[in-house]
Order: sequence, then structure tokens, then C-alpha cells
Amino acid sequence: MTVMHSRRFARSLAAVVATLAGTMGAAHAGVLPEERADAMYKIYDGGGLKIDGPSVLVRKNFADKVSVTANYYVDQVSGASIDMVVLGASPLREERKQKSLSVDYLRGKTTYSAGAENSAENDYDANTAFVSIGQDMFGDLTTVTLGASRGWDRITRVTGASRQRDPNFERRLERRSWSIGLSQIITRNLITGVDYEAITEQGYLQNPYRAIRYLAPGGQSFITAPEVYPTTRTSNAVAVRAKYYLPWRASVGGSYRFFSDTWNIRAHTAELNYTHPLFKDSVMADFNYRYYRQSSASFYSDLFPRANFQNFMARDKELSTSDNQSVGLAVSYDFIRGAGWRFLNKATVSARYDYIMYRFKDFRDASVRGVAPGAEPLFQYNASVGQVFVSVFF
Amino acid sequence: MRTSTLRLATVGALLAAATLVSGCGPITPWVKPYERERLADPVMAWDRASVSSSYMGHVRENREGARGARGGGGGGCGCN
Repeated sequence: MTVMHSRRFARSLAAVVATLAGTMGAAHAGVLPEERADAMYKIYDGGGLKIDGPSVLVRKNFADKVSVTANYYVDQVSGASIDMVVLGASPLREERKQKSLSVDYLRGKTTYSAGAENSAENDYDANTAFVSIGQDMFGDLTTVTLGASRGWDRITRVTGASRQRDPNFERRLERRSWSIGLSQIITRNLITGVDYEAITEQGYLQNPYRAIRYLAPGGQSFITAPEVYPTTRTSNAVAVRAKYYLPWRASVGGSYRFFSDTWNIRAHTAELNYTHPLFKDSVMADFNYRYYRQSSASFYSDLFPRANFQNFMARDKELSTSDNQSVGLAVSYDFIRGAGWRFLNKATVSARYDYIMYRFKDFRDASVRGVAPGAEPLFQYNASVGQVFVSVFF
Repeated sequence: MRTSTLRLATVGALLAAATLVSGCGPITPWVKPYERERLADPVMAWDRASVSSSYMGHVRENREGARGARGGGGGGCGCN
């Protein structure tokens, strides 16, 4: 579970499909996604953790009817998050491997898709299966996509310096999601989309390592105790997006998402991007800006007043009131184009860099010593995310 | 006051329904296939490399409370 890094591996249906479905947008329901292979190296560095590794995606079509997509992905984690520092845990080195496979079947203007994904860590196994159906209608101006997924997670715990699994600890989590998406061409320059997704989870939703903290008698220090979470969570998210072709060869796009869940978290996400070709169209540049903010879960507190203060207690910074902003730049260069080289139609090398600034409004840096509990500075950190990948189209 | 508002809303809804029903019939695509050159341009793709965007989505979902509705497919870009 990359201790404290990923509380859950509750991948939404959209997340799974986004990996496996064709490049969104180009994935017209009535047309199979283009055949391609991508080999990527990515690195995340922020909040005390460094996570890097490869991701390889291959998509192959058969008889203009069937498209098969496979993805292999590795996260190698090292470092110590703020939660681990507070608990005095030593820095870790862990690995997560993810394998996915999906099949798209095209029949007329309808695309049927099904797929499965497995993610394995030393203390967390997740399996997800999904089905979806996409239909072009109204003269192919509209595409409607319906999807559903189910997931089964097994959570264990590693202990000691040898980081062996604790044989007495095993928990389960079941996930379900339903989604509907609509993509609509408005004019010859404008395309819009609306997406809705409901996710419900039942089982062990907390992190077996993370702790809450409460005031010690006297109020001069704090004591840590295990978190206690509800065993269900249901969320709804709706997003709208649009992309517009500018009077010159470039596009501007935007999206907004509203999220709410039964833990009383409300979140808003807004994103803007601008795409512009350069150097006689051999280079494509993308600029993006993203803003995100959320309110805290009803059972979250940075510092509880006493032990067993309420039924459910969490001190996960991802459940706190927070916001983040990010700016990113991506460039891709076509080094093989047109008729191509041997069996390749096109080959592209791409690089992307994102800088994310996380700011927490009620999560304090409890690793700071010498101040009264609850008077520590608010926690914040910046993260760099880098990606380099080569794509070949055949 | 309340009754008149309700009546107004009912009349409005009926008028809207009548307009919609009368509009039923074969829908003529107002953007013809040959007019979709710009929509099919790579600059208009929602996402040109899913290997990259799904990774960014993963980075964000693991560090935020919100999830879902990232857009799973479709597009209708008319890339015929």
C-alpha cells in the first residue's frame, strides 16, 4: 500500500477505462482506437516520497472489429511520508505492479468493452473488472457511454524490519462503480462532454498503519492511536468539459468537476489547457493549469481532544480541508511521420512535467517539535511529476 | 401566489414538452462529416496519450479525496 501514500487503491471505473480505452476523444464509439505502443518512464517526487518506474501500453486491432489493449505498470516507492515521520517509521522501499487487459468489440456504431486489472503490493492486492458500451448516434454527433465496474481488494499489513505480512491481519474491500458519459459535437469547432460516476465501497477503507492523534492529559503533548473509519463510502462525481478549435491551428479546453460523498467531502476541480503545434507541426505543445479544493470528511480532525472522542476518527490529510494547484507543460515530437519506416506509420517522443502545490488548511505538521499540539505550522508540500515516453503507431 | 406560480410552471413545462415532441423525427446532423476536419485534428483530442493521462489521474486520485468522472471514452470527434 506504499504505507501512507495510497490509503486506497479504489480505482474508479473512469480511471481503469482511461488507461485501457482508446485515447479519449479519438475513441469515437464507431471507430476502433488506433494501434499503438507506448513505453514510458515516470517519476513523482514530493512530500518525502519518490515514486518512479515504467508503464508500457500496447494496443492491437484485429479484423477492424476487435481491439486488444494491455498495460503493464510499476511504481517503485522510496522515502517517508509525513505520516511515517510523525510515527517514527523508517523510510521504505516498496513496489507496486499493475497489469491490465481489455478488449473492445466494434459492431456498427456500437463499441462493447470489457477488461480486468490486477494490482499487487506486498500488503495490498486489488482486482477490478469492468464492462462498458459506447454508442454513436444522431449522425455521429453524439456518443453515449455506459459503464460498470466491480473491484475486490485484499488488505494485509507488514511488520518489523523484515516487512513480512502479519498472518493475523487480513481485511477485504469491495468496490462498485457505474458511469455514464455523453460527448457532443456542438459546431465544427466545438466539442463538449458530460460525465457522471457513482462509486460505492464496502469493507476496510482505512490504512492499517496510519494513526490519529489526541491531546494527552495536560495538553502539552499528543498521543497517537489507530484510525477508525466507517465501512462504507459512496460518492458521486459529475464533470463537464469542452474543447474549442481556435481561429489558428490550436485549441483551448476546459473542464469542471463537482464531487460529493457520504463522508461529507465536497470537492471542486477546474482545469484549463491550451494545445499548440510548433516547428511546422512536428512538435505539439500542451500547457495546462488545474485547481482543486475540497472540504474535510465529517470524522476528520488534525487533533482530537481525547481518546475515543467519537465513533469514527481519521487523520488522513487526503480527507482534510485542502487545495492544490498545478501547472504543466507537455511536448511531443514526431520523429517518424507519414508513410513511415517499415511497418511504422508514426513515432513520437514525448515529455511532460507537472508542478503541483499542495496546501492543507487543517492538517498540521506534527513532526515539528517544541510547540504545543495544534499550534504546529500547517502542512504543505510541492511535488514534481515527470514523464518521458516513446509512442509508435503501426 | 403559490398556486399561480405552480400553474405558470405547469404551462411552461407543457409548452416545452410540446416543442420537444414536435421537434421529434429524423435528426439531421448539423455538422456534416466533411465539416469535421478540425474536430479530427490531433489538437482537438481530449487526450492524445492515455498512458500519460491515466498516470496523472492516478497521481491525483491518490492524493485527493475526490475521484471519478474523469471521462472514460467516447468523443464523437468524427474522425472518419
